[in-house]
Amino acid sequence: MSSLIKPTGVKAHERFKGVYWVSFEDGSEKLATINLTPGRRVYGEQLVQWEGNEYRIWNPFRSKLAAAIMNGLKVMPIGEGTRVLYLGAASGTTVSHVSDIVGPGGLVYSVEFSPRVFREFMEKIIDQGRRNVIPILADARYPEQYLSIVKTVDVAYIDVAQPFQAKILADNADVYVRGNGYVMLVIKAMSIDVTKEPSETFKREIDHLKERGYEILDMVHLEPYDTAHAIVVARKSR
Amino acid sequence: MSTAYVVLDTLGIVALSENGDVIDKVIYSGDVDSIAEKLNKLEVGQPVDELINLVNKLKSAGFVRVVIENKELARNLSNVMSGIEIRSELPSKPGLMYRENFGSRYVREVFGMDEGQYMARVYEITVAQTRHKLKQVAEKRDLFIAQAISSVDDIDKILNLISSRVREWYGLHFPELDDLVKDHRDYMTLVSELGHRRNFTVENITKLGISQDRARRIYESSVKSVGAEMADWDLEPIRAYARIYLQLYNIRNQLTQYIDEAMSEVAPNIKELVGPLLGARLIMLGGGLMRLALLPASTIQVLGAEKALFRALRTGSKPPKHGIIFQYPEIFRSPRWQRGKIARALAAKLAIAAKADAFTGNFIAPRLKEELLKRIQEIKTLYAKPPARKPEVKAKAKPQGAPEKKGGRKPRHK
Repeated sequence: MSSLIKPTGVKAHERFKGVYWVSFEDGSEKLATINLTPGRRVYGEQLVQWEGNEYRIWNPFRSKLAAAIMNGLKVMPIGEGTRVLYLGAASGTTVSHVSDIVGPGGLVYSVEFSPRVFREFMEKIIDQGRRNVIPILADARYPEQYLSIVKTVDVAYIDVAQPFQAKILADNADVYVRGNGYVMLVIKAMSIDVTKEPSETFKREIDHLKERGYEILDMVHLEPYDTAHAIVVARKSR
Repeated sequence: MSTAYVVLDTLGIVALSENGDVIDKVIYSGDVDSIAEKLNKLEVGQPVDELINLVNKLKSAGFVRVVIENKELARNLSNVMSGIEIRSELPSKPGLMYRENFGSRYVREVFGMDEGQYMARVYEITVAQTRHKLKQVAEKRDLFIAQAISSVDDIDKILNLISSRVREWYGLHFPELDDLVKDHRDYMTLVSELGHRRNFTVENITKLGISQDRARRIYESSVKSVGAEMADWDLEPIRAYARIYLQLYNIRNQLTQYIDEAMSEVAPNIKELVGPLLGARLIMLGGGLMRLALLPASTIQVLGAEKALFRALRTGSKPPKHGIIFQYPEIFRSPRWQRGKIARALAAKLAIAAKADAFTGNFIAPRLKEELLKRIQEIKTLYAKPPARKPEVKAKAKPQGAPEKKGGRKPRHK
């Protein structure tokens, strides 16, 4: 088990505040975030104590955002104090790290459609006391369903296994993202159309974002962590 | 000729003018749960009283048009209102303004709170709302679980029937195998895959997942078997029947898998306490999660032992100590005199777990389990020795008569 390998140091990520590299005695370096709820694990990840802080190792095979960072994402608009609308929260793996990064001053509105996984989410995220996460069991295709709850956010992040992801993202962003705010789109080519080449699907989703007035700032493929996946960061010029 | 924009909030409903000034507002009263319920209604487009009152007030203040961002809500509202136009627009300009400047302006102006207080409230309400929804989704599923567990019981009966039939039938041909392979599934695999005993080579047997050692023994007895000769034509129906066994066995696995998953959704506390299958049986016997949750612990303790219980009530014989919860390992593995006490402790925790699953959705099982294990430990140390009394056996099994009517236990009915 890798958990037996001792950490030898922690350094801040060169670009993204709130993201850290933990180095281990075997020479490996792993992504991590500072645990907002010390002592608690969300998905069996390793906890590392270093100089008074507890870090949670962030597994790129489990979290697409981590995979994107490993693959050299250049723009990551989520930082301390950021308000995020997270569509497709699932059981909360990535949400937990986003919650770590934004810290107590930030906020993560977490929308998920499937009650099956959201029950797990409630156990792991809410019952463990992450007060900066607001759970919303609703369908991201209908942003009007959570009008009562969500206020303007800095970033909308979408990771849903649905066709027309870009459209769903833009529909939500129109209502909830502040002027000059960001959107992040996880494109799951295989969930959108298995018959098409992934590159074609990527292009189609990106074109849709452009049509809706977004400027594409960055795109990274998630291989080898996830096949036929990519993350796109974009910004609306209002 | 003026228009009012209605904006929904977690804590209330606000009417804004086109340039974002607050015209009017309603703040929800009541506890967290009742507010959560209102939000759920609004979400699916059902107008709540607060909204209707607010629009009525706007109407009498001279507004001729109301714009709401939720389309479905606007439509349903216009069905119950008259004399005022109701339209929908998503997002509306005042709506955007409200959400954008919420922290800097509206939270104080509308609710008189700072943002921290507001967010704490929103957190509470959304958590309650989500739990409420999760519960609704899970509601009917308890009945599915009850059916599934009944099917598992059916299949178990059938599996037993088939296996004893095949053992006897195939035993005419290869009687020695019956003693050599006790596990039904292994036996059925051997029969269906190999058929005639001449195919029982060591290689063939080990290929089916049986250890070298046992395979050799089986092979040796196959060579000197005293069983009757059978042609492939005679063997075919036996093999077909054995295949059915294996298929059913797989279905049983799928069913238990389903029950396992469904239980985490419907009754995670019960599942954590006694496992998915026993938990499912309790729900079945209780007639649904809700009804189980309403039963007293003493009834849960004897669910599944109704026959013994009513006999006890009727004749004054000893009441049963446990019903289906006898399947809980800590009960059936314990010595006789401890079982009743453990059953009582377990039933008490189950009653709490069922209530948590049915009403709050909170996951409290780890604590219950810990307390239960502690109590079981206590019982084991306090009552390590059997009580000095005379043996109590048999009285239970006697149909009537109740031979040793001791103490104050009197028949309930006359």
